[in-house]
Amino acid sequence: MNHLKKLLQMVPAVVALTLSAPALAGVPVPDVPQAVKGEQCVEPIDDMRRNHMKYLQHHRDDTMHRGIRTKQHSLKECLECHVPAQQPNKGSQGSEQHFCQSCHTYAGVRIDCFECHATLPEKSALFHPLVTPAMKAAKQVHTPDSATLLNRLAGNLPNGTEN
Amino acid sequence: MTEKTQPDLARREFLSQGAKAAAGLTLAPGVMLYGVAEAKPADQAVTSKVRWGMLIDTTKCASGCNACVQACNEENGLGNEKKSRAEQVPQYIRKVELREKATGRVVSMPMMCQHCENPPCADVCPTGASFKRADGVVLVDRHICIGCRYCMMACPYKARSLVHEALEDQKANNPRGKGCVEACNLCIPRVDEGGQPACVEACAAEGHKAMIFGDLNDPKSEIAQRVAKYATTQVRADLGLNPGVRYQGI
Amino acid sequence: MKKTLFTQIEGGKGFYGLLAAFGAVILAGLAAVYHMEHNGHWVTGMDNQIVWGLPHVFAIFLIVAASGALNVASIASVFGKKMYKPLAPMSAFLAVTLLLGGLTVLVLDLGRPDRLIVAMTYYNFKSIFAWNIILYNGFLAIVAVYLWMMLEKRMNRYSTPVGYVAFVWRLILTTGTGSIFGFLVAREAYDAALLAPMFIVMSFSFGLAIFMLVLLGSYKMTDRPLGDMVLRRLKNLLAVFVAGVLYFVLVYHVTNLYATQHHGVEAFILKDGGIFTTMFWFGQILIGSIAPLAIFFHPTLSKSRQWLGIGAVLVVLGGLAQVFVIVIGGQAYPLNLFPGYEVTSTFFDGQVNTYSPTLAEFLLGVMGLGVALAVFAVGAKALRLMPASLADDMVDPH
Repeated sequence: MNHLKKLLQMVPAVVALTLSAPALAGVPVPDVPQAVKGEQCVEPIDDMRRNHMKYLQHHRDDTMHRGIRTKQHSLKECLECHVPAQQPNKGSQGSEQHFCQSCHTYAGVRIDCFECHATLPEKSALFHPLVTPAMKAAKQVHTPDSATLLNRLAGNLPNGTEN
Repeated sequence: MTEKTQPDLARREFLSQGAKAAAGLTLAPGVMLYGVAEAKPADQAVTSKVRWGMLIDTTKCASGCNACVQACNEENGLGNEKKSRAEQVPQYIRKVELREKATGRVVSMPMMCQHCENPPCADVCPTGASFKRADGVVLVDRHICIGCRYCMMACPYKARSLVHEALEDQKANNPRGKGCVEACNLCIPRVDEGGQPACVEACAAEGHKAMIFGDLNDPKSEIAQRVAKYATTQVRADLGLNPGVRYQGI
Repeated sequence: MKKTLFTQIEGGKGFYGLLAAFGAVILAGLAAVYHMEHNGHWVTGMDNQIVWGLPHVFAIFLIVAASGALNVASIASVFGKKMYKPLAPMSAFLAVTLLLGGLTVLVLDLGRPDRLIVAMTYYNFKSIFAWNIILYNGFLAIVAVYLWMMLEKRMNRYSTPVGYVAFVWRLILTTGTGSIFGFLVAREAYDAALLAPMFIVMSFSFGLAIFMLVLLGSYKMTDRPLGDMVLRRLKNLLAVFVAGVLYFVLVYHVTNLYATQHHGVEAFILKDGGIFTTMFWFGQILIGSIAPLAIFFHPTLSKSRQWLGIGAVLVVLGGLAQVFVIVIGGQAYPLNLFPGYEVTSTFFDGQVNTYSPTLAEFLLGVMGLGVALAVFAVGAKALRLMPASLADDMVDPH
């Protein structure tokens, strides 16, 4: 009985030690790289942190099965803003400095997106080659260029230019 | 949450102007070209109003040429398998050389996923990863593919391949990875934005123009007019699968 | 009529030695699985032409044998033959363990075994594979209930109705397994309605052969009396099943030979297929069918336990050869896309495909057998599955 009491008294100490183990053992808090484009994500930050997996999962089914290729919740578009094109992120699992992988390593949640998906943005895939600046000039079609469109997407431009 | 569609409005506007501006080109007696395929808006789901198909004229296909294969490999990032044997390397499209046993006649033609209307691969897939989209394209949803390879057993055209090793440097438009099955997807990222499959473009660029792509359900499209006018065959037509890919000259 | 006393087997050096041996087989298999899963399938002999290989041969053999192993229990519960009643708990448990072994191999060979939960939650009900997932898991559950009915005294009166359910379920299950191939229109060796009933008769034969081997082995190792009457009845039953399989094989090939369009694939299997022809005639027919039948009907050999054991082993080997010819031979023969044409391509069209299995695939396949027998051994020790005596005077001959 005495032994049992002593053991039970140890429990809170053990629990406290375990919970503080990350701080004591030094698992690095992720150094999440700053996004390279835009000033704001497509959703509010706390919403994104909680729900990005739901947005991505819903959108992937929409794209695969229904052919909906809107850009707001598209994984490819995430990479466009959040991953610099020149960053040496080779490796199918992505290195620790990759925007997605850094937080996921810290949280201990394994993602397998990048076993298949490219880890870097591929800018040339963004816009269809039919729509080139020269052709637009010839037709006198006034469409904004890609940088303007992206900034609009990220909510950078003043209200007047947004539809 | 409203979805932003400005880039697509601009594109749609341009394309519809382009389509209106395109004059009817005469390709062959009675066959007119009426503009390119219009890209649907990005936020609209695909419907079965459209049925994508391909027509391959084997009489125009050159025996030594494999421009279509190279273009497909380039577009989809194939060929980066370092460890797989030749029999394990994925191929979406391949050139097939035929020789008729009774007469000696020789035919060269490309062979890829036939995008059947009743695809056996979609029937047998246990998770539904292999499926036919509403507009007729047969795809593999690699998010839910478990790599059982039953679709590879079931495909009458040997169109499917398994990725046998871990891959790097995938193309952004064609995510592919170890353990999942893949096949020709009619370059659907391109097609969804109003383009053509890479193989068709490459064949035209080479000057052979043996491959046409278009909407079989649109009576004004070149492909629909051709298949209505000239004799075309489907490979293994006796299976009743009604493939979207048709051939002339075999 | 004496009541059958069921007892657990005792431990001891032999038991733990056996477990250690099975454990070694399982460990080797797990190493093979790690190698295959970590690197990808490029380390195996399977490719885009031979899509399913040696692991699938073992897995399908074990799954087919599993439903057949339940036969002995079904004969007792459904057909009312009292002689088989003492054998029923062993039969049911062996069915469960063989299925577990087969499923282990099947699941661990998937391109993405980490997505098993996806297979359990996303269902395409047109796929016979999806139905099989339900049928296999249902089989495990139903036979577990069946075992409970048999082992617990006050539930014994329910063992007959549950036995009926188990019997029907396993028939549907084996039909489903045969239909995996029977439903494929693409390949000439498959696409036959005959494959489903043929798999059922194969299951009778393979399951009973394994059951006999486990019976002989376990009773010898635990020094329990095993009478000649039980063995004679089982032997006669096995002979009938082996002959039944031979009949189905005959009908399948003769029918195919009648159709000119199938002459190519028939010539391949029966004459020109190299290893497949050898496996067919030597493995499946000679070793797997004719030799066992000769043993089982021979006046003196059929009375010797050793020869019965040899006969059962030959049936098992022949069964593996048969599944090999079906699964791999069917893939080796090229798809016929262009009748009347010779075909060549960079994707190996128009040519017979070769298959060189690697050690990893063999280890994975054998691991299934190891899992099945290991779990059976543990179960025989934990549960009262085995009658203390199957001597002639303890067994009801009806």
